[in-house]
Amino acid sequence: MATRFELVLDGEDEGRLRAVGEAALEAIEECELTISPFLPGSLLSRVNARAAEEWVAVDADTFTLLETARQVRRESLGAFDVTVAPVMAALGFRGDAGGDLATARRAVGGDALLLDPECSAVRFARPGLGLDVGGIGKGHALELAREVLVEHGITRALLHGGTSSVLALGAPAGADAWRVALGPEAEAPLALLRDAALSVSVTDGRTAALGDGSPVSGHVVDPQSGRALADGIAAAVIDTDARRADARSTALCVTDAGVRSAPQPLLAAARAERAAGTLCWDRVEGPADGPNRFELRSHSPQTLASTA
Amino acid sequence: MTPSDRRQFLAQATGALAAFAIHPDLAARPSLAGRDEPLPVALIGAGRQGRAILSELQKLDGVSVVAVCDVLAGRLRSGLRRAQGARGYDDHEKLLAELGDAVDSVIVATPTHLHRKVVTDALEAGKNVYCEAPLAHTVEDARAIAAAARASGRVFATGLQGRSNPVYQLARSFYRSGSVRDLASMRAQDFKKQSWRTPASNPADEAALNWRLDPALSLGLPGELGTQQFDVFHYYRGEYPVSVRGRGGVFVHRDGREVADTASVELTFADGTSLFWEASLGNSYQGRYELLSGSMAAIKLAWSHAWMFKEADAPTQGWEVYANRQTFHNDEGITLIADATQLASQGKLKEGVGLPHSSLYYALEDFLAAAGAGGTPACGAAEGLRATVVGILAQQAVTSGGELAIDPEAFEIG
Repeated sequence: MATRFELVLDGEDEGRLRAVGEAALEAIEECELTISPFLPGSLLSRVNARAAEEWVAVDADTFTLLETARQVRRESLGAFDVTVAPVMAALGFRGDAGGDLATARRAVGGDALLLDPECSAVRFARPGLGLDVGGIGKGHALELAREVLVEHGITRALLHGGTSSVLALGAPAGADAWRVALGPEAEAPLALLRDAALSVSVTDGRTAALGDGSPVSGHVVDPQSGRALADGIAAAVIDTDARRADARSTALCVTDAGVRSAPQPLLAAARAERAAGTLCWDRVEGPADGPNRFELRSHSPQTLASTA
Repeated sequence: MTPSDRRQFLAQATGALAAFAIHPDLAARPSLAGRDEPLPVALIGAGRQGRAILSELQKLDGVSVVAVCDVLAGRLRSGLRRAQGARGYDDHEKLLAELGDAVDSVIVATPTHLHRKVVTDALEAGKNVYCEAPLAHTVEDARAIAAAARASGRVFATGLQGRSNPVYQLARSFYRSGSVRDLASMRAQDFKKQSWRTPASNPADEAALNWRLDPALSLGLPGELGTQQFDVFHYYRGEYPVSVRGRGGVFVHRDGREVADTASVELTFADGTSLFWEASLGNSYQGRYELLSGSMAAIKLAWSHAWMFKEADAPTQGWEVYANRQTFHNDEGITLIADATQLASQGKLKEGVGLPHSSLYYALEDFLAAAGAGGTPACGAAEGLRATVVGILAQQAVTSGGELAIDPEAFEIG
């Protein structure tokens, strides 16, 4: 994650709200220590180092994360896959580029990720596999923070990680929903959220370098081709679960095959491509009313396709 | 060999030489890996620290958490989520009675003022015990714990993490071998922006959860945070302070609390040198560190990292020519790297700038390795008692705003 998280808690007792907020941020910090691919002592690093040879036990929350990742992989027909770690490393997105890219591409494949719910354990069915939960980690952290807030009776809150993963509890006093703009552009739609999560994935914003020094732009990787997606694509998802929202928005950047027809439907989706320097949200889908939806600005050129 | 190759070779060779000369590497530390059966462990106290302990335990080889205990249901649930297959208890006596020999070692992470009963019960039940620091909130309780540990014949560790931290051990070897030379100054701080208030999902639990803000039970910032850092200086110097002066107040969190949210302590040693320590819950700048400054160098310790800042007239040691360096404003620090031997041989010295694990991980690993083999942990009951006494008196000095002599008799187990 290595990103900034912020919380807004709405309530009466400021001292208590601060204490609850600190507890939620502690949960997020603990999550970072558990799933960071950058920390050699993280649990995820341990899994990556050991799971090809033995079952590795993980805590219940991390297991839930991996189960959700597997579910979205299946429904997206492989467009989202946490076994993309070797490619991320070879492309230089996890420190200095390491490993042969062609070999790394062949190693990716969530079918080789084995999960044992009885023992809460993980194993890789073949060597060379590696987990990178960058496409779902912030949503996972937000869900862990949500648990803390709910346990302490917080009913109105807005949380975000890196501005791209957002979780809403309830709605602000006197309003139906939290209102979040999808970008700084005047044409960017608004997301209306009440007890729901929003995730926005954008392919540009980061660059890295291959082992030979050649630049790589775009940090969202198509797991099946093993290639970084070109700049200028964005996808946004509103879902009840922040983990799933994160994973689904990543998958939608790659393709919309599968995700929209998933057994557990997402609440709303939007996709944009850059034209003339501006992201044009040309596909915005979801309910036309209700608390969780995208709302077009008055001057927006898009039409809203209702799924109702 | 190209010039670049030669530099790389020399860097590896000199790094390896320095490491071989004085420092054991990370891989050589005792561990439980390779045991036929995992060591069965129980955790008592699943609050913030207890949960951190569980997170570290799941990364250690040769250990199995078989039980988690907490009197609060929410905390117990949260702890059990981190210990798959463990049994949950809300009463530590019941845990000890029911599990019997199914538990070898007990880790105690309850509030400080509850340590005595839990620790002595566990020792009486024949368990090896790791107790978080400080050992207790009164000298009487701390002595009772230390006496019980000595009488039990079991492995007992106090969770003073500096003594088992590989990078602190490494830096200490430099300190003890004269790299700092004449010690002129000691400073430490623990700054974090935090309320120190624990939210309760049930209002009836509010007081119990906020024991750190109860003046009758809390050792305040000096005792709860400072004890860890004071002990770093005890460990490095091999001696304890003779007096303590303190002051503090509530300057930021003006919510009716009486326990200071900002405090400063001066610990004076027999040779007249002093450690100046500050802590605040109102600001996070520079976080937590310890600094020992002498005529030839200063050593700065920051738990996962350590650096040496050399004076211009300090003698050059061969290994440092190729060592990793970091710049802090106008000063350049030589990074002290644990496991330098292995990293140098792999050409990865730079990657080992910080420890791969938390300080807590190494403290637990050290205890469990000792428990598994019947050995001696890096920090036992005697060191725990002495550091706890210093922490207790430091808090008393802050509360009274005065100076207290530290009677060496207080360090004796009795």
